[in-house]
Amino acid sequence: MTGFLAAWLASFPGFMTPLLLASVGLILCERAGILNLGSEGLMAVGAMTGAVVALSGAGPWLALALGAFAGLAIAVPFILAVVVLRAPQIPAGLALVAIGLGASAAFGRAYAHKPFVGLRPLDLPEVLTGLPLIGRMLFAQDGMVYLSLIIALGAGTLLMRSNFGLRLRAVGEDPATADAAGVDVQVHQLIAVVAGCFLIALAGAYLSVGGSQIWTEGMVAGRGWIALALVVFARWSPARAVLGAILFGGAEAAIPRLQTLGLPVPVYFLSMTPYLLTIAVLVAFALLRRGGQGEPGFLGRAYIRQDR
Amino acid sequence: MLERVTLERRAGVGAALRASAYAGAIVVALILSLGVLLWAGVPTGALFQELVVQVFLAPAGLAQTVTMAIPMMLVGLSALLCLRMKFWNIGIEGQVLLGGIFATAVAIHDIGGPLRLWVMLLASGLGGALWIAAPLLLRVRLGVSEVIVTLLLSNIAFLLLQHLLFGAFRDPTFNFPSSSVFDSTERLAKLGFGSVHVGLFVALAAVAVIGFAIHRTPLGFAARFTGDNPVAARAQGFATVRVMALSILAGGAMAGLAGGLVVAGTEFRLTQQIGLHATFNGIVIAALARNEPLLVPLVSFLLAGLNVASASLKVFYSVSEGVVLVIQGIILLTLVSSQFFTTYRIALSRGGIAA
Repeated sequence: MTGFLAAWLASFPGFMTPLLLASVGLILCERAGILNLGSEGLMAVGAMTGAVVALSGAGPWLALALGAFAGLAIAVPFILAVVVLRAPQIPAGLALVAIGLGASAAFGRAYAHKPFVGLRPLDLPEVLTGLPLIGRMLFAQDGMVYLSLIIALGAGTLLMRSNFGLRLRAVGEDPATADAAGVDVQVHQLIAVVAGCFLIALAGAYLSVGGSQIWTEGMVAGRGWIALALVVFARWSPARAVLGAILFGGAEAAIPRLQTLGLPVPVYFLSMTPYLLTIAVLVAFALLRRGGQGEPGFLGRAYIRQDR
Repeated sequence: MLERVTLERRAGVGAALRASAYAGAIVVALILSLGVLLWAGVPTGALFQELVVQVFLAPAGLAQTVTMAIPMMLVGLSALLCLRMKFWNIGIEGQVLLGGIFATAVAIHDIGGPLRLWVMLLASGLGGALWIAAPLLLRVRLGVSEVIVTLLLSNIAFLLLQHLLFGAFRDPTFNFPSSSVFDSTERLAKLGFGSVHVGLFVALAAVAVIGFAIHRTPLGFAARFTGDNPVAARAQGFATVRVMALSILAGGAMAGLAGGLVVAGTEFRLTQQIGLHATFNGIVIAALARNEPLLVPLVSFLLAGLNVASASLKVFYSVSEGVVLVIQGIILLTLVSSQFFTTYRIALSRGGIAA
């Protein structure tokens, strides 16, 4: 049993990292008032590009970076549409999903099912990795796992503790007031969405470069949607997103392990837990009449100065 | 940024402007789509043959296109019934799956005797309506945003489908997860034109009924009023919540019915593939049809042709089916971007900073 527990604990950070990066990216967008439903497509582009770059012989960090930039590139029409043209964000986000999934499937076909060398666990001393139960969970992970935590906490600090973060949240909460106070609404939205899309695509690149080390079509497998749920679960806070990602990632990591044990577990019901938990959180907050807490007040709506 | 440019909301929008924005978006989308197809490796000379002749004119291709258009009409109706109420149903796919599951359950448990097919279709509509009832209730009673709840329920529906296909509904004689094949009494009759089945009339009847209801009945008037301006409608004494709920439940039922028609009309069993991109297709169809039910058959027919073409492009030119998804994404993005021109007027200020 301890062997099972240690193996599960060692594997879950790999599941946590993409969910954390994507949800922090989404939180940045949503805090600035932009609802970005396109995460699934952005992650697909990141995963495919990361794999293609890694297969060409480049190092894993370059593969991650180019994967993230490719996702950002494909998001440019979406970003312009929602920030500059004030297009309705929900259909624009769905269009981004379609373009991302379609483009990665079309472009990546020649690169599918080819294993490559991706991220390796950091080479830490045996004293640390050999600790019972938690040694490998804490110290035998690749660099991105630690970096994702730093990014999440950094984004949280930036958002909650800096003047820039205050302005950004003001834009998502009440753009008319922010505008009147001299905050440039569109510039703040642009910065937030560009950074957000970059992180979401980076999450996708980690799936192939850090996780599977092979690309197959459909490998994002709904994680973009789970990240959207995680944002709600974390009530739009990057710090709480760390806890949510540990919980959701831990559940995801447990499922294949329970299956290999041959236990008669209803795997598909287990897979539902992140979704059911998120709905439960939504209902609980609504029942406690605290529905507004955390949710940006102007999320998903278009602001023009004339409306002020 | 851009302080010299201010946007003003247009008070009223003329039909000419509306039409030209729409036409402009279609032209831009077509040009970009052609570029994508050529980039993907379709020879220029084959474009017309593959995208027009083979799928709309050649009998075999036309039959496939019509068959595919049947569920697409219903998911388009589903999307527009919800969109007219400003209810973002991002879980049409989940409602389609529930429709398929309910119809299959009726078939497997041999419910309904001689009325089996009717019971199956009724159950499929019920399944779809049931799956949208929860987000509707949460929205109306607790003010929970429907966007995330419909999305989550769609994912839950897919996991439920897999649970059934690997468990209770599984037919072990197949290597892939699938229910057993339906009896002949549980299949919709063919019309003698390829695999086109009587579901075509069901879908067209749904279009006619919903079009008539929206444009010619007091209920439809209340629905249009509620969708456009719920506050004013309530002030005028309309039962806005009831009207909204009815329209949205009907939307869920249409999606469920689409699932029912797919299992009873073309697949004859439940598989993992029945819900393919229904949410996205539905919203694209509703956007192209400008939420007008009577335009849904035409738009569905054209988009079905595009999807049928993708299969032969894959076989003959090894062009990935992903290309069609990209094209649909481009169409949707240009359409929603074009709303900029009908919603806002650009006012340039001369010098100084516009207030």
